[in-house]
Amino acid sequence: MKKLPLVALGAVAVLALAGCAAGTNAASGEDAGDGAEIRVWLVGTDTPDAAREYLKTTFEEGNPGSTLTIEEQSWTGLVDKLTTNLSGSDSPDVVEVGNTQASAFTSAGAFLDLTDKYEALGGDDLLPGFVEAGTYDDKFYAAPLYSGARLVFYNKEAATAAGLGVPATLDEYIAGGEALAAANPGKSGIWWPGQDWYNALPYIWENGGEIAVPDGEEWDAQLSSAESMAGLEQVQQVMTTASAAPKDGQETNPQVGFCDGTTLQLSAPSWVKWSILAPADAETPGCPEQEANLGVYALPGIDGGAAQVFAGGSNVAVSAKSAHPELATKALEIILSDEFQTIYGENGLVPAKLSLASTLGTDEVALATTEAAGNAKLTPASPKWADVEASGLLTDLFVKIAQGGDVEQLATEADEKIESILNG
Amino acid sequence: MTATSTRRAPAASVARPRRYKARRRWSSALLSVLAVVIFLASVFPVYWMVNTSFQPNNEIRGSVLHFWPDNFTLRNYETVLFDPGRTPFLPALGNSLIVTILTVAIALVFAFLASLAVTRFRFRSRKGFILAILIVQMIPAEAMIVSTYRVLDDWSLLNTIAGLTFVYVATVLPFTIWTLRGFVNGVPADLEEAGMIDGLSRTGAFWRITFPLLAPGLVATGVFGFIQAWNEFLLALVVNSRPEMMTLPVWLRTFQTLTGTTNWAAIMAGSTLMAIPVIIFFLIVQGRMTSGLVAGAVKG
Amino acid sequence: MTSLTSAHEAAPSAVTDERIIAPEPPPARSGRRKRAGGLTPYMLLVPSVAVLAAIIGWPLIQLFIMSFQDFGRAQVFGAPAPFIGLDNYAKILIDEAFWQVLLRSFAFCAVCVVATMILGTLIALMMMRLGRFFRLLLSVGLLLAWAMPALTATIVWGWIFDTDYGVVNNVLVNAFGLDFVQHSWLINPLSFFFVAAIIVIWGAVPFVAFTVYAGLTQVPDEVLEASQLDGANSFARFRLIIYPYLKSIFLVVIILQVIWDLRVFTQIFALQGIGGIKDQTNTLGTYIYQVSIGTGQYGIGGAIAVITVIIMMAISLYYVRQSIKDEEL
Repeated sequence: MKKLPLVALGAVAVLALAGCAAGTNAASGEDAGDGAEIRVWLVGTDTPDAAREYLKTTFEEGNPGSTLTIEEQSWTGLVDKLTTNLSGSDSPDVVEVGNTQASAFTSAGAFLDLTDKYEALGGDDLLPGFVEAGTYDDKFYAAPLYSGARLVFYNKEAATAAGLGVPATLDEYIAGGEALAAANPGKSGIWWPGQDWYNALPYIWENGGEIAVPDGEEWDAQLSSAESMAGLEQVQQVMTTASAAPKDGQETNPQVGFCDGTTLQLSAPSWVKWSILAPADAETPGCPEQEANLGVYALPGIDGGAAQVFAGGSNVAVSAKSAHPELATKALEIILSDEFQTIYGENGLVPAKLSLASTLGTDEVALATTEAAGNAKLTPASPKWADVEASGLLTDLFVKIAQGGDVEQLATEADEKIESILNG
Repeated sequence: MTATSTRRAPAASVARPRRYKARRRWSSALLSVLAVVIFLASVFPVYWMVNTSFQPNNEIRGSVLHFWPDNFTLRNYETVLFDPGRTPFLPALGNSLIVTILTVAIALVFAFLASLAVTRFRFRSRKGFILAILIVQMIPAEAMIVSTYRVLDDWSLLNTIAGLTFVYVATVLPFTIWTLRGFVNGVPADLEEAGMIDGLSRTGAFWRITFPLLAPGLVATGVFGFIQAWNEFLLALVVNSRPEMMTLPVWLRTFQTLTGTTNWAAIMAGSTLMAIPVIIFFLIVQGRMTSGLVAGAVKG
Repeated sequence: MTSLTSAHEAAPSAVTDERIIAPEPPPARSGRRKRAGGLTPYMLLVPSVAVLAAIIGWPLIQLFIMSFQDFGRAQVFGAPAPFIGLDNYAKILIDEAFWQVLLRSFAFCAVCVVATMILGTLIALMMMRLGRFFRLLLSVGLLLAWAMPALTATIVWGWIFDTDYGVVNNVLVNAFGLDFVQHSWLINPLSFFFVAAIIVIWGAVPFVAFTVYAGLTQVPDEVLEASQLDGANSFARFRLIIYPYLKSIFLVVIILQVIWDLRVFTQIFALQGIGGIKDQTNTLGTYIYQVSIGTGQYGIGGAIAVITVIIMMAISLYYVRQSIKDEEL
């Protein structure tokens, strides 16, 4: 028994040593000077392998002795991960962040000020909405990475059978969706799972509404304005009459319904084309045989032309705590080079530079993407907007709308919550 | 000797006198049917997971249910294990195993020492310590992520096995001490003293007599720690952000993307792989576990 | 100590006689024999206390301080955090959403704990009476359910209840002809918690069943037989004769279940990702997560955590007082 206390102390000592050892290892890795390791966080699988390869080889050739590691992160829990890791000592050097999440970090001082590099990175050629998202207090923190426009995909055979062409206005689009659903009971004329709130934004914007507008120092939520309400009513109409998707479902796996014929039309990011056309033996199989049957157009606006759609996408920034800010900035320059960005274009994502729009190609999807991207719009540029999204109140709102809830009441409640977060 | 007879106890209760048996033939048949029903209900999700993991991805979303993988395929396992585009499975498995085993081992040693202190000795703040151990279990871990991250950062323990192990040890330690002390309490000091009279030293008496009696208790509490450490997701996600330091629950999440296509069959294959080590561990220790659990609980 | 006495099977009569006279498990006597070991107990506690103080204690102090500060994401990155007194607490206590979450968590916890305890106890009693084969079969099933990680289990259950491709809807439609085509199990909060309760109870029953079963095996055979001879109905038999032996086990298991089910996070969080409406299905765990990490209000999140702990302490007060009275602490 007498020896037990000694065992206890010994255990503590061993752990303390282990801790110190771990500490020195981490430190020695960083002190290696030239042999620096640059860690780049890319989120999801959107960035093509060719682009990753290009970034790594170009960087390592240009900076002999240094290495660049791409660490793929998942969108799940990204904000938590960035909040902790960017504020810690083992921070990644270059990070991708969703464009609507960017302001949460630019305003918190998480990113390196890139104002001096603005011209070198592309200047006014950079996607303006994304530059705005990455700017705080007139300082430029996060550059655009890529954007994905939302397009309408449809089943050509079904549309022809119902006597529908490409709609010219938003009203025609809604009527067409309802007609398709009516002609094909149990199927979706416009597939729209309730959690997919990004798709609802064009309806609000096209009717002249907004989510929230700045009002002096405060934000004034606008979902219950007459204009926004008109849009939300339309959303409810589509969700209840034209869509057979789960009312509380997510927008994941849109290709499944399209391939088994239960989804006749849907609005989705441009890359969904590749999910639909994936080989039948792919990991997540699509239906390549349907290629001729797959039609695509840009969502029409209320008065014709392309609607103002939500421009989802990413920004990219250098961590303020990066151990090698110069090298990290060099990596960022490669990411925003024409060569790197062209790879995005070739893979159906809108590049960060306006001048590279032509890299999307000239097929139907590309033309529709270019058209939609030209009229893309962003969520309110408040540092707390990311918190509104993370709170899940928007997905809740549209799930309730899809269930047929009272739009006015729901919109008023949502406005209160949005204001309490944005002004809180 | 005591430990073995404890384990023999269930067998003893089965050998019930025969005269009651006849009267209960019918009800025992009914009970057996009920047992099968409960068995099926317990096992169904496990079976459904394994069943799905052996089916081609396009079939699991068909309108026809496949209660058996007719088109048996190992493709999902290939995807999960060998697909070059994925974060590899084996390093994540290695991390999970090392962290979990270390956690269990360290937590058991520390908890054992602590439970000796609170059961064998009288000292100030003994009750305070035990109360603190209970209260600590009530703290919602979700609220402390940022603070925990900073503590690890201060000690340069981010992205290390040691760091994650530390956190997990702290997480399971309260429960482990709490349960283990009941078990240590169950071994009377008399036994040790008797051993000393027989010529053993105090330490010798402890290792020869007390320790073997504690084995079931150590196993039972170890199982709890094992499950906790093996399954923890949120802290592992935030604290070990480097892909090479990923643990299995985080690895499993990489198959579920926010807007992309979710490969359900692969998730099921990954889930199956993740459950296997736990099940193996369970099967190894289960005999010792139940008797240990109760002995701890009685005194808890 | 119970384990030990029952372990003396070599001389059952002597021990059990005493027990039949006093069915209440004897109180721990070892307390009286405790030695004042000088510094030894403190040294034995050093490793545990060191780890707990560093990994839980220190962050806990920070969390407590944070709960009195205006602490947002900017403060994580080093901005000064002003003290705002009890504002965070006031904000929560007047927020209707918090009370709803609290009520919901309690209701959910109560249902899960009661259902888990009843099912677990019934299964344990059943295992006592089953033949060797069926008992083994049942044990294997329970073990498999127990060994399944909570996250994995939720994913699988979510898949089973999937709106479009779930086996439940499919069977209800095709085998029973019910109108469950594309029925969403998660959109209605009650239905959501029904699914969540199934997942939680399914995962917790094995622990209770095994623990109670192990406890039952230590009740002397004579007592069990006596309980079967007299005429009382089975519930009364259980309550009057068997329960006193299991009382302390029940107390511990219930307090653990209450703590775990009130704090439930993984299952609810993962289910919310699959479907349902978050602000109608949040429980304490997911609410704290949403407030502190989701929306970056770490100060308010800290305050909610403090309130949660206080509430749980109040609940377990009965248990603690009982234990102190029995000198079991």
